[in-house]
Amino acid sequence: MSEQKSMPPKKRGKVTIDEKRCKGCWYCIEYCPTKVLKVSEHLNEKGYHPPELVEEPPSKVCIACHLCELYCPDFAIVVEEIK
Amino acid sequence: MKPGYYFWSGDIAAAEGAIAAGCRFYAGYPITPSSEIAERMALRLPQEGGKFIEMEDEIGSIAAIIGASWTGKKVMTATAGPGISLMNENIGLAAMTEVPIVVINAMRGAPSTGLPTLIGQGDLMQAKWGSHGSYEIISLYPDSVQETFDLMIDAFNYAEKYRVPVMFLIDAMLAHMYEKIYVPPDDEIVRIERKRPTTPPEETLIYKADDDLIPPMPRIGEGYKIHASGLTHNEKGYPELTPQAQERLVKRLNDKIRKHAEEIWKVEEYKTDDADIIVVAMGSESRSVRLAVDLARREGIKAGMLRLITIWPFPYKFIEKYNVPYIVAEINYGQIYHKVREYTRDVELLPKMGGEIHKPDEVLRAIRRAVQ
Amino acid sequence: MNPMEEMRREEEKLLRTDRLPHVWCPGCGIGITLNAFLRAFIRSKIDPNKLVVVSGIGCTGRAAGYVNVDSFHTTHGRGIPFAVGIKFARPDLNVVVFSGDGDLFAIGGNHFVNAARRNHDLLVIAVNNFTYGMTGGQHGPTTPTGAYTTTTPYGNPDRPFNIPHLAISLGAPYVARWTTYHVNQIQNSIYHALHKKGFRVIEVISQCPTVYGRRNDMKTPLEMMHYFQKNSVRKDDASFEELELSYNGKIVVGVFRDVQGIPTYEERYEDIIRRAKK
Repeated sequence: MSEQKSMPPKKRGKVTIDEKRCKGCWYCIEYCPTKVLKVSEHLNEKGYHPPELVEEPPSKVCIACHLCELYCPDFAIVVEEIK
Repeated sequence: MKPGYYFWSGDIAAAEGAIAAGCRFYAGYPITPSSEIAERMALRLPQEGGKFIEMEDEIGSIAAIIGASWTGKKVMTATAGPGISLMNENIGLAAMTEVPIVVINAMRGAPSTGLPTLIGQGDLMQAKWGSHGSYEIISLYPDSVQETFDLMIDAFNYAEKYRVPVMFLIDAMLAHMYEKIYVPPDDEIVRIERKRPTTPPEETLIYKADDDLIPPMPRIGEGYKIHASGLTHNEKGYPELTPQAQERLVKRLNDKIRKHAEEIWKVEEYKTDDADIIVVAMGSESRSVRLAVDLARREGIKAGMLRLITIWPFPYKFIEKYNVPYIVAEINYGQIYHKVREYTRDVELLPKMGGEIHKPDEVLRAIRRAVQ
Repeated sequence: MNPMEEMRREEEKLLRTDRLPHVWCPGCGIGITLNAFLRAFIRSKIDPNKLVVVSGIGCTGRAAGYVNVDSFHTTHGRGIPFAVGIKFARPDLNVVVFSGDGDLFAIGGNHFVNAARRNHDLLVIAVNNFTYGMTGGQHGPTTPTGAYTTTTPYGNPDRPFNIPHLAISLGAPYVARWTTYHVNQIQNSIYHALHKKGFRVIEVISQCPTVYGRRNDMKTPLEMMHYFQKNSVRKDDASFEELELSYNGKIVVGVFRDVQGIPTYEERYEDIIRRAKK
């Protein structure tokens, strides 16, 4: 693992989950290229486990690719680029 | 059309009446005895800058006119019994979403394919009860080519004013019968347009009714972000699937017609003032009944005719008005008879299964029997 | 603000957010398709007041209820003729029919066939999830032969529609198929189709994990997505046989027809009006 030092992506992003809209399909977790999301342990008000950010960046960082937004069937994700 | 005298069939008069009323969109599917309406509209609408389309079936036809009505156009389709059977689901959609449409039903012998070229009056109940659920529509039924033209104007005005489907009944005899007809000058034709919202889109609830129980109707493309659904909906137009929303909506859809019924009722009271016996008749059948009434009067029987022009909402006050025996002469095995019987016990049915109207003599014999 | 953030913000404006969360089940692909459609529409820069979305009945039929533009939830199978009425009456509007496979191809099949033949200027987004989801997972006109549904408990003896081939045979000028795995391709395809004229058909193979997947060895939304991911093959010049869908088999995706210059019904009628007024 430690040998695979590729160029760090230039962009950084911030993922915001609207937990009220989330239904816990976890496509966002599956298709995140840098795996910054994981299944949370808590339930939202509809009884689903929304995703949450993994706790220890920078090894896993959001690169603001917006793929989770595109895969989200519930319009529950907003990705913003960190300037 | 230029004002003046013409020699037209009921079908042509219906088409020209519609155009005179402002109809500029027609979608239909050919069926005897209404096909000449489609043919006339195909010829005439593009001359008036309107649109005609022959669809793949009656279901597509009525769906298309409901869609087109939302653009603000006055719309119509025409068919006969089998086509009405197919259209009924979407008549319910138009009633539920309050879309002004006019549907002509040229009644022929039925059930099923029945007598395509011959008269029937078997769709009188279907006109009101054809789609599922409790709803009100307006139904009109003329008895001459002239009245067909004139009443089409009212049909469109009612559809627009009350945001409701209007089922315009004619019959196979009237559809194909030619008579002399007078077309009045355009400025003598009174046209009613649907109410439009007066508030800007962001302040408008598109299904919020005024005091008259009728909501103003926005047009597509003006920013009102219309949402119309056949589901039970709230004032925003959003589905709200609760008994409370159902109570509010369905009650209003019915009440907006029931509370205006007297404005919608049209009847012809022919020699009823002093009558001892009244024959209730509609459409072409009434032409024979009128003669029978005259023949009875010649024999000293004070007969009269109550001709229902508005079939729905049912003009029951005119039945209640006379305390005399009634005969209901209709080309079916008892439909409006049952409706009349709701308001008087003294009523007899003079039925005919279809294909022809009663001969005046048959009606006369029934009148004689009733007064004996 | 970068373009993607801008788009996400615009997307919220095109949603009736007061109605979210929507009715669709966890992992349902209709939301993904709607998401792609809204983004494609935003990119097109078309005035939202000139967009009309029409749906029929069923799970996908609910799509019209979430878009914050003039939108109509009609009767089962009748989205296309309803849209025909709107488009023919007001040819300046962009009319999109967003509906499901059962609605468009079983009960509404006759309208699809004839509207395509007449080449009405409509964009049809057909979400194909292989089943009648709203009613509990019965087999429909697109259920693959052999699949298990509530009305094919011993496997489906029926044969599914080959939707792209059907549309091509009717002369539709733009025909594409994607799965919900192809989030960018759906969006690009809709974006391109929005700039074209005529009867445009985009089939989106979508997952119904709740009532289809779990009866056919795909118990979670992700398993269905993995199926699309592993089995999709892009082939724009696919043959009839290749376009057919089989039970758990390959899914050929791509843009199978993209031609221009076929007059639409609405254009041809303008000529009719000119002739009639002479």
